[in-house]
Amino acid sequence: MNTKFLIGLLFFAASAFAQADQQWILQQNTLTYHVSHPLHQSEGVSHEARGKGVCHQGQCDFLIAVPVKSFDSGDSNRDLHMVQAVRGAQFPLVTVRTRLPEDAGSSATVHADLEIQFAGQTAEYKQVPLQLAKDGDNFRITGTVPATLSDFKIDPPSLLTFPVKNEIPVRVEMTWHAEK
Amino acid sequence: MSTLENADQPQAAQTQTPPPNNSRAPSLEDLGLTPSQTQSDPQLQARLDKRAHMLKIHQRLGLITAIPMIASVATGFGAGGKGTSTSDRWAHLALGSVTGDLYFTTAYFAIFAPRIPGTQTRGPIRVHKALAWIHGPGMILTPILGAIAFDQKSKGEKVHGIASAHGAVAIVTAGAFGAALLSVSLKF
Repeated sequence: MNTKFLIGLLFFAASAFAQADQQWILQQNTLTYHVSHPLHQSEGVSHEARGKGVCHQGQCDFLIAVPVKSFDSGDSNRDLHMVQAVRGAQFPLVTVRTRLPEDAGSSATVHADLEIQFAGQTAEYKQVPLQLAKDGDNFRITGTVPATLSDFKIDPPSLLTFPVKNEIPVRVEMTWHAEK
Repeated sequence: MSTLENADQPQAAQTQTPPPNNSRAPSLEDLGLTPSQTQSDPQLQARLDKRAHMLKIHQRLGLITAIPMIASVATGFGAGGKGTSTSDRWAHLALGSVTGDLYFTTAYFAIFAPRIPGTQTRGPIRVHKALAWIHGPGMILTPILGAIAFDQKSKGEKVHGIASAHGAVAIVTAGAFGAALLSVSLKF
């Protein structure tokens, strides 16, 4: 009887260790891009990102995806032009992949290497500082991705013959929830 | 990530390994995105490209149109009245004609730019479109009134009747056109 119990316990323990330690689900998010033009400063906001993190053996792999057309700048003409300029109908998602150490949450700041797929191109941003804050069972992550148009081979849109600046920083505010 | 719960004890910034490429990493299927959010639509992209191309021409021609329009309004003050010369009237007529041709070519590129289904018009473009209901009819009416006024002046008559509204209609039209241009250029 004791042998069977021990075998059962060992089997249960082995299968438990073989599973992912923990998963994280993106609960709330605000992504804001900023575009500068000599006559305008404009921002487009999306709250429609989806994200998931899977932890295993001390590392957590995260994937975040947001539909390009979900960004709203308050001007439908600008939004359509943005989708056209970034080839958003052909490549409808922006995806971000990163890996963080499982104990990243013990820091107030983590430097993440981000792999971003956007407009049919892939760019890597090294050591992007992200601020972490605990909020009950959730973690709030904020930071700015220093994206540029040239990183993704996007021709700068122009207004009145003046092109927008190459820099399009993206402000990230996310709340992640642990799922056990 | 159980030790994430120690985040309220700030430590030195951490670095980490490059982005993952392993089977345990989440995939797009895990995120619950709908096919309409993930599928590529080359036809829509082509439509957006054509639309952007036409609106770019619309924008450039609109700026170019503003030049003879301003000149037409300026010469209009000298083309009317008692002591005007024939050359002033002809110069005004020529500038007005160039303005009209450029204006309607500009309008063509906006009117026939492909529409994107499901798009609700929001923002300054609404003002831009609304103003077209003023300068559009104005650009039809102004040359008609101008032709009548030109004819009356050529006969040595004083401009009278409906033709006397030519100047006022032209100024309102030019004002609406200028406002339309500014509505999408400057942030209010």
